[in-house]
Amino acid sequence: MEPSQPRVPDLGRFAEPALLILVSLTDGPKHGYAIMTDVEAGTGKPMGPGTLYAALARLEARGLIEALAPVDRRRPYKLTAVGETVLGDQLRDLSEFARRGLQRLGREPR
Amino acid sequence: MRRLLLRLFPAPWRARYGEEFEALLEERPLGPFDVADVLLAAFDAHLNLRGLTAASNHAKGFVMTLRLAGLAAILGGLAWAAGLAMASADDSDGIGVGIWMFVAGTVLLLFALVGLSAFQSRRHPRLVWAAFIVPAVGGVVTVAGALMMAVSPDDTIVVGFGGWDFWIVGLITLIVGSGLFALASWRTGSVSRTGSALLGVAAAILLIAMPPMFGLVEIPWEPLLSIAFAALLLSFSAGWVVLGLGAIRRDRPSIVVTSGGA
Repeated sequence: MEPSQPRVPDLGRFAEPALLILVSLTDGPKHGYAIMTDVEAGTGKPMGPGTLYAALARLEARGLIEALAPVDRRRPYKLTAVGETVLGDQLRDLSEFARRGLQRLGREPR
Repeated sequence: MRRLLLRLFPAPWRARYGEEFEALLEERPLGPFDVADVLLAAFDAHLNLRGLTAASNHAKGFVMTLRLAGLAAILGGLAWAAGLAMASADDSDGIGVGIWMFVAGTVLLLFALVGLSAFQSRRHPRLVWAAFIVPAVGGVVTVAGALMMAVSPDDTIVVGFGGWDFWIVGLITLIVGSGLFALASWRTGSVSRTGSALLGVAAAILLIAMPPMFGLVEIPWEPLLSIAFAALLLSFSAGWVVLGLGAIRRDRPSIVVTSGGA
């Protein structure tokens, strides 16, 4: 009976851009260009427009983000409740993975 | 150049994203990296178009499950309490409307339990499904007991136990189990902590009221039991209604148009 949850890693080579987009939308709705600049400011790496929209289309199709009404041809996107939950789960998994990695490197007490 | 790049995308993709994508490309000069990136995206859009439709349908189904569960929790909570109150006030020998309303409400609550557990189990699957089992079993048993009472009110069905016995044991299990479900819901925090707290209060009232209810303990003031019963009905019903409203609000479509975050 349990519906399988949409997962960020299922997005293949778009998993990383999708994760960056979801994190960018945590502080409120943003349109494409705002997401690109926010991701670039956060990671120091530019995100191409094609990569951005390929990931946005996947996230929207999976119900993790939702398009709002366009403003001057620019359409903002917001995180859905499901997207928020999936992002939280994904970040927790990554955090645990990072903790174990640091332990193996001896950079963090066991 | 921008128009040419846009034409490389499939028509359905252009119809959905074309205008905003073109606006994005106009925001800054296109470098060779951007052109290559757009070419790859156009290729990907052709390959991925079919998959997107399937994924979109899947997401819609997921959201629909949550909404139906929310609706079932609201209607079930109201019907359950109204039915039980009517059945308790009914002194006639026959099976009245109250019992049928109670049965319908309990069945709706079972639907709500399944849907909400499916949503919440993504974070703590073992905890949520373990907390699901007790109220689900209680719901099934109490419905079976109510139906037995309707069919043959005075008969013993299984080794000395009649419909009323099944009904009351199932009812107690449902309410106490809903308290366990409330604990799991509180822990996940996915739907509504207020609703969880109200269900927890209902379970606590029942546990406290059970000894005097079955005559095991004397209480100094008789009306206290009626007050406890009313408080139990109200908190149990309100708990499910609030959980249901929380579930529906989780994925309510946006009605506010914002100007964007930047």
